[in-house]
Amino acid sequence: MSELSIFTKAMLQERKDILLSILCGFFAGIGGVVLFSTSGYLISKTVFVPPLYTLIILTSLVKILGLARAASRYGERLFSHRATFSLLSRLRTSFFAKLVPLTPRILNRQRSGDLLARIVGDIESLQFYFLRVAYPPIIVVSVFLATVLFTSFFSIWISLLLIVGMLITAFVVPAIVRMGQRKAYGQVRQQRADFSAETAEMLQGFIDLKLYGRLKQREEQLLAASDKLTAAQHDDSLRLLRGQSLHSFVTFFVSWGVLVLGAYLIVQGSLAGVFLAMLIMASMTVFDESAAMATLPAYKQDSEFAANRLSETFEADGTVEASGEPSGTLEDDTAVSVELDNVSFQYADDWRPVLNGVSLSLKAGSKTAIVGPSGSGKTSVLELLLKLHVPTGGQVRLNGTAVSELHTEDLWRRTNVVLQQGHFFLGTIRDNLLLEDEGLGDRELLEVLEQVDLADKKPDDPVLEKGENLSDGEKQRLAIARALLKSGRLWLLDEPTSSLDYVTERRILKLLLERAADDTLIMVSHRLTGLEQMDQIVVMDRGCVVEAGTYDELIERKGYFYEMKQLEQQLVGDNGWGEA
Amino acid sequence: MKRRQPRRSNSKTGLLPELMAAQKKRTAQIRLISLALGSATIGQAVLLAEAVQRVFVEKAALVPMVAVFAALLAIMIVRTLLAYANGRIGLRIAADAKRDLRSRLLRALAANPLTLSRQGQAGSKISVMLDAVDEADGYFSQYTPKMIEASIVPLLILAAVFILHFPSGLILLFTAPFIPLFMALIGIKTRQKSEEKFEQLAQFSGTFLDSLQGLITLKLFGRTKQREREIERSSLSYRDATMSILRIAFSNTFALEAIVMLGIGIVALELALQLVVFKSMQFHTAFLVLLLVPEFYNLLKVMGTAFHGGRTSMGAIRNIEVLLAETSEARENKNPNEGLEEAAPAGGDATGKEAAVNISQIQERPGSGEEQQAAVCGRRDTWNLLSGPNLSDREPPAIELRELSFSYGEGAFELHAGSLSISPGQQIAIVGKSGSGKTTLLHLIAGLLPPSSGEVWVNGSPLTPACEEEWFRRVSYITQHPYIFSGTFAENIAIGTDRSVSREEIARAAEAAGLARLASELEHGYDTVVGEGGRGLSGGEKQRLALARAFLKRPSVLLFDEPTTGLDLHTERILLRSISELSRNATMITIAHRLHTIRHADIILFMERGKLIGTGTHKDLLNRLPQYADMVNSGPKGGVS
Repeated sequence: MSELSIFTKAMLQERKDILLSILCGFFAGIGGVVLFSTSGYLISKTVFVPPLYTLIILTSLVKILGLARAASRYGERLFSHRATFSLLSRLRTSFFAKLVPLTPRILNRQRSGDLLARIVGDIESLQFYFLRVAYPPIIVVSVFLATVLFTSFFSIWISLLLIVGMLITAFVVPAIVRMGQRKAYGQVRQQRADFSAETAEMLQGFIDLKLYGRLKQREEQLLAASDKLTAAQHDDSLRLLRGQSLHSFVTFFVSWGVLVLGAYLIVQGSLAGVFLAMLIMASMTVFDESAAMATLPAYKQDSEFAANRLSETFEADGTVEASGEPSGTLEDDTAVSVELDNVSFQYADDWRPVLNGVSLSLKAGSKTAIVGPSGSGKTSVLELLLKLHVPTGGQVRLNGTAVSELHTEDLWRRTNVVLQQGHFFLGTIRDNLLLEDEGLGDRELLEVLEQVDLADKKPDDPVLEKGENLSDGEKQRLAIARALLKSGRLWLLDEPTSSLDYVTERRILKLLLERAADDTLIMVSHRLTGLEQMDQIVVMDRGCVVEAGTYDELIERKGYFYEMKQLEQQLVGDNGWGEA
Repeated sequence: MKRRQPRRSNSKTGLLPELMAAQKKRTAQIRLISLALGSATIGQAVLLAEAVQRVFVEKAALVPMVAVFAALLAIMIVRTLLAYANGRIGLRIAADAKRDLRSRLLRALAANPLTLSRQGQAGSKISVMLDAVDEADGYFSQYTPKMIEASIVPLLILAAVFILHFPSGLILLFTAPFIPLFMALIGIKTRQKSEEKFEQLAQFSGTFLDSLQGLITLKLFGRTKQREREIERSSLSYRDATMSILRIAFSNTFALEAIVMLGIGIVALELALQLVVFKSMQFHTAFLVLLLVPEFYNLLKVMGTAFHGGRTSMGAIRNIEVLLAETSEARENKNPNEGLEEAAPAGGDATGKEAAVNISQIQERPGSGEEQQAAVCGRRDTWNLLSGPNLSDREPPAIELRELSFSYGEGAFELHAGSLSISPGQQIAIVGKSGSGKTTLLHLIAGLLPPSSGEVWVNGSPLTPACEEEWFRRVSYITQHPYIFSGTFAENIAIGTDRSVSREEIARAAEAAGLARLASELEHGYDTVVGEGGRGLSGGEKQRLALARAFLKRPSVLLFDEPTTGLDLHTERILLRSISELSRNATMITIAHRLHTIRHADIILFMERGKLIGTGTHKDLLNRLPQYADMVNSGPKGGVS
């Protein structure tokens, strides 16, 4: 399980804080035991009317111990939490680094959004592994051992009794809690997921449910699911409560045992009576420490579940990586020719292919548009060219070399890409232009921003997460600016202007075609306007190329493209565009 | 009106008291058990002290001690059981409250998600349902029982200590208030600090997910190394921000524990002095006090922790309350008798009032006696009267808008449609720019949204929630993104009708909608599971599935949100053909994006910024409304050439 090994490694790197927190935790724990046993001893001692100074020494000891204990607790909390948050930082960076080579393969799945959110959540639950799973037993065991050692000076039997008590609270009680929980745990998770999915379905399918008179029925189903979930959660908490009650009873029982055993030993004459109160107080306090053990199984299960899921995620997709990166590169300073030879592609979890025997040949320096209905496989062609996916059949060649032979990062460096859903990060405009050449000054940036009609943006303007503060059109223009700042000779544009108005679109297309005059350009387009300037238009439907040719040829042919064009001309209103 | 009042005022006084009021019996039980628990706690200490006194001071033999030992063990068992019972009741309360909250939320969401969908996405609604309800758990399962316990048991102990030894009681009395005080201080200070650091904290939470989501972009631009450093930096600054908050909390806890320790230390010293110097006390009493003091402080600390947890839960409950208020507000905005389903079943009073309003409205209008009669004798009858259940189910109805308007709430989007009459079987096209209110208007006419004022009349009687079922039975609505339920392909088609249909009928409907080929491609044919968790369908296939549903239903009212772009030609052709077939026997209202549809419409409703600014035929509007002419002429034809 390499995920826990990542965790262990991270723990080792934080060993200073971890050791400090263990040390403080130990002192706090043992301090409490000593404090209460001392007060028990103090009271007992008074029976013999000792000189006043003994009492004063003892009571000052009690107070010093009290303060020392509170101080160690403070230290313990501080160090353990700092360790936890440092661990999170380490976990994030190492998982990010681990995810980098696996991208995009790991995102091949359709619901990659869920996957990523899950990874984030799992890493977060892993961060508490130290604080709530690894740490408590260390403290409990060390404090217990110290107490046992201390009591063994007075009576070996009482120390043995404490050991038995510790074993029961640390192992037997958690085991009882765990029994049945393992099964129930998965159940609650499942029911919660089901409930969430069904609620989502009700909200999304509301109109259809309502019109088809199924809303009531669905609502009742959901209420039933909610009841089931509540019942399962109740059972779960009840099990935990039983564990806690059992734990506190064992604590009581051990103190009772210490009392009875102590009484027996005193009557026998093998224990001085003055220590009885002290031993009872010690036994009562020492179990305070093990309270954290009662909730440990739940956290343990959580983190293990997270670790398992992480390792599944990473291992399932990480196996292919070993082969090493090919060394092929594209020549500098020449436009790239593109060839697809009977290419098929299918997502691993989909039931039918996205691309089905696509063959294309695009000359170096040519300008091509790919058009077709949504879901026809246009975007997948670009993704295969970028090695974001591996074709399930056929070959993709750039300049005659199979892309599988090309060094991926070199390929990307030489390509100017605008993705349909390019990502924007929290930061500034400058950060989001993802500059290759960090030396570019504000003047150049402003120039490019002006070219894409973003003259009102300054390089230092803030950008929120996912570019939330930018409109769709602004995001598209920023993505184009990003591509314009690169120096590749292959342009891959996926609906780069779908959210722009006609005038801006026309300007930007002109700009792109000018900049790419000597380069190869492939543009996926939702709209059928402005395609007259293209050398070739490829029309796709259901993963196949239906027809290809120049604009005039296709119009002449009166085929699929012609009909699509007719349809488009029927569209009225400003939202007849680009909305998928 | 009077009957409605309490329901509304409930939501004003707060959800929490309302939920707790339902649990009065159980909280009383907890109180009772806590009393017993306090007595058991004291009893345990008394017996323990007694045993030590006898063994150690009086040097008693073992045999007479058996009774004391047995009693002690028994009281320990009782104490455990009492604590368990309290916890259990707490869990019961929590389970009830959670069930209640979830069903309230469900009802609210089911009552009208269309109004809410404007205000936020479905995703956040679901998360409120699940996370907030689960977070609320703590209030009922922990906070409530612990607070009751902590308000009873320490008082009993304090009383016992006062009786046993007055000065120790005084020490407890004076130190005790510091604990809740410090706890409150910790809460306030950490909250202040976390508000101060809010930006840092908020930034952090998104950065990581943001980076993962943008990984492809980062890789394409060769920026992963920088990003890794960025993640490290933001995580560490998050750590520092959090630690600076926690440090305050921890140092306050330190002070708190120091007070507790000091208190115990003072009590111990004082007891020792009494014992040795003044000899005014017995060992038994002193030891007993010493046993009781930590129990006292512990309970107070537990109260502090529970308080902390309770605050988080209360925050969650407030979030739920906000969501519930939003929904009910959206509903209260409306003419009360026009509201869609009420969260609670409407009482007889409300129904009576509806009828009264209807009568008065009708009387204002010098309408026909038939109308009046129809309204009085109830909607269901109206339907039966005017369009017999079987025979004229297929007969397209006449639809009438009467001063119809709608608002998504104060200051939000408003729609004014005015009055309009649609004859049976007419083809209506709603036209307008995006955001002009086309969809809202369609939803209002469909009865999917309750109007803020005005009414929709169908075949001469108003469309009300009561006749909703009957109405929807005749309506089909083909949206741009039809929803596919998780279930088999056949079930998804059969949802179009409430009668039981044979496989042949389903297959016929599928064929009419051009789905026969898809059905043969699916591995289990019509029994293949589709939708979430099943086989994914393309946009075009979903459209055709919606058509198949309609073919099965044969609606007399057809609502259609015409697709913009992105459909394959096959689907386009089938859509064109099917719609014209389905509309032959139906009143059809289309949100139109195609010139073809617009030209063939009997009436065009032209919307601009939430107002219906023109009705008429294509030619008519082209001459009359320059805005309309502009829009129709500014199609793709005017684009790059």
